[in-house]
Amino acid sequence: MRSSILSSIVLHLAIMMMAIVSLPIFNNPDLEIPPIVQVELIEISEKTNVPKVSKKKDKKEVKKIEEKEVEKINQPVMKPKVEKSNEKVKDASDKDEIVKNKIEQKMFENIPIKKPVIKKKDKFDPLKIAELIDKSKDTKTVEEDIEDLEYDALDSTPSLDNKLTLSEEDAIRAQFMQCWSIPIGIPFDDTMIVKIKISLNTDGSLLEPPEVLQHERMNKPSEKYFRTLAESALRAVRRCDPIKAPDINRYESWKKIQLNFDPREILRG
Amino acid sequence: MIKKTIQKLLFFYLVIITNASALIEIDITEGNREPLPIAVTNFFYAEDAIKDLDQISIDVSKVISADLERSGLFKSIDQEAFIQKTASMHIRPRHEDWRLINAQALVTGELEVDKDKLRVEFRLWDTFAEKEIEALVLITTIDNWRRISHMIADKIYERLTGEEGYFDTRILYVSENGPKNNRIKKLAIMDQDSFNHRYLTSGKELVLTPRFNPVKQEITYLSYFKNLPRVYLLDIQTGIQEVVGDFPGMTFAPRFSPDGEKIIMSLARDGNSDIYVMDIKSRVVERLTDSPAIDTSPSYSPDGKKITFNSDRGGSQQIYVMDNKGRNQTRISRGTGNYATPVWSPRGDLIAFTKNFQGRYFIGVMRTDGSGERLLTENWYQEAPSWSSNGRVLIFYRETKADDTGKGHSSSLWSIDLTGFNERKIETPEDASDPSWSRLIQ
Repeated sequence: MRSSILSSIVLHLAIMMMAIVSLPIFNNPDLEIPPIVQVELIEISEKTNVPKVSKKKDKKEVKKIEEKEVEKINQPVMKPKVEKSNEKVKDASDKDEIVKNKIEQKMFENIPIKKPVIKKKDKFDPLKIAELIDKSKDTKTVEEDIEDLEYDALDSTPSLDNKLTLSEEDAIRAQFMQCWSIPIGIPFDDTMIVKIKISLNTDGSLLEPPEVLQHERMNKPSEKYFRTLAESALRAVRRCDPIKAPDINRYESWKKIQLNFDPREILRG
Repeated sequence: MIKKTIQKLLFFYLVIITNASALIEIDITEGNREPLPIAVTNFFYAEDAIKDLDQISIDVSKVISADLERSGLFKSIDQEAFIQKTASMHIRPRHEDWRLINAQALVTGELEVDKDKLRVEFRLWDTFAEKEIEALVLITTIDNWRRISHMIADKIYERLTGEEGYFDTRILYVSENGPKNNRIKKLAIMDQDSFNHRYLTSGKELVLTPRFNPVKQEITYLSYFKNLPRVYLLDIQTGIQEVVGDFPGMTFAPRFSPDGEKIIMSLARDGNSDIYVMDIKSRVVERLTDSPAIDTSPSYSPDGKKITFNSDRGGSQQIYVMDNKGRNQTRISRGTGNYATPVWSPRGDLIAFTKNFQGRYFIGVMRTDGSGERLLTENWYQEAPSWSSNGRVLIFYRETKADDTGKGHSSSLWSIDLTGFNERKIETPEDASDPSWSRLIQ
């Protein structure tokens, strides 16, 4: 009897401890974070929206972002000073812009969750990192040193470093959009959304067959529209196989993805 | 014991936390709107078949391809590009060969003749999933192969777009011939791909506004007898014709109710035109509108509960909706210009119309409350839209302008997709106007 009570108390205490340690509700919210994320989301979405960039972005700006992307992707653990050090991509107007939006820029470039689009040419190259580090040492200024300190203070979320960036998400999204032929005859319905889980190899190929998560709807005779939609989504997944793989360093974060094929806006007409 | 339990709990807890955070979600809200590439192979038949099926094998494939391509939603891949040949296909397709030529779907089939009956077996394959997604056997007389092909095309269309097909349907229209001031007008009917064309009337009497019964192989139309318009019913299969009634004054635009039991039309009495409905069996006529204005072109909603019509009671011709007893008459068109010939979509969600604005004519659609007006096509003169059975395509007629000597005038049938794309001319032997598109043939 006594041992039961004891074990019950211990178990309850253990569960409470685990909840306190791991559930975000018990953490003190960092009041400075929300505005940072908000500003940054706007910046990222504008710069990483794949079709927009390819169409009409200012060339200089695009180039600048691309170069930064290359550097960042090649050395995920490095501090932003390396990116800042590349003087070639900065002209006067760029600098003005950076000063003007200084805080936002820093935040944009520093929070690891916002890593940019992965490109094929952006293969990991240790030699290049060494070069960049050297360069950064040579060209670093006092102002940038101060910025670095600020970055260090902000860059306190190493666990997020492995998360897929918005740019990488955009890149994956763009690929599936290209592969998906929407069955536009399906009547509009608010529930017409297909959720598919995919598991990927490190090279971006399918590790196992894609799985429609709404199993029960697939075989219902009354759900023929859903079945047609789900089949079109499965075709898109297979047609896109293999996708261009995001950064292999973040493989853990993208080896399993849930794709939500949502044609509702299109079907609404 | 306690230690083990705690360890287990901790393990499950960690597993749950890890799984919950591992799966990221990506929303795909746009897609590729290019027509879906599909490969339709010639249907296989045994070399020692009783009847030579060589030509039918090719023709069935051609009709299916043409139907699908005409919809604008499919792109039929040229047979020259095929890697795998028909002979080996009826065993099992090599999906990798079909993916190589970018075919997302593949159609195979087999023909067989048994006691003068043609047995057609078709299979639809998803080349990426490498599985059969539709299979059907159809048996008919040999000379009915064309209709079987349309039915197969409907099945493919339905399976891949999620929407009922509209290929096994017919078009009824007024065939016109001769100078503009002395046109000979005959009723004509044909398959939706312009084949199997035939005339239903001789051209001695003027015919107008033919309309299909939605549930039977029957049509109603107006024809002049001793210079008075009469509403006729004609059974297409038997050729039996009957007069629905002689109505005093002018009669316009008869159209069936969705159950095929009533005819709704407008009758002009004392210079005032109103909407009336007549029960075909009892011939009882009921008046639905009673305004001093001109009310015409009535059309039922697919559930039969509402009626749309046009009226100039507000000073200009506009579209109105009322219930099937004539109550709650409400104007729904709100744009500038005149609106006419409203037709309720078989899906129930839209009303198609003709709009005249600044001397130009438009075919458009709006929601049933008048919102979301979209003009699909514009021309010098065009009117009388009629819906395909699935509510995705509209057929209408368009006239070209005559020159000062009266030459150059012509009229022809056109179709356009609800999206405003895929506008196509529909071939007819002579000039054509006032089309009506049938429901799927039962």
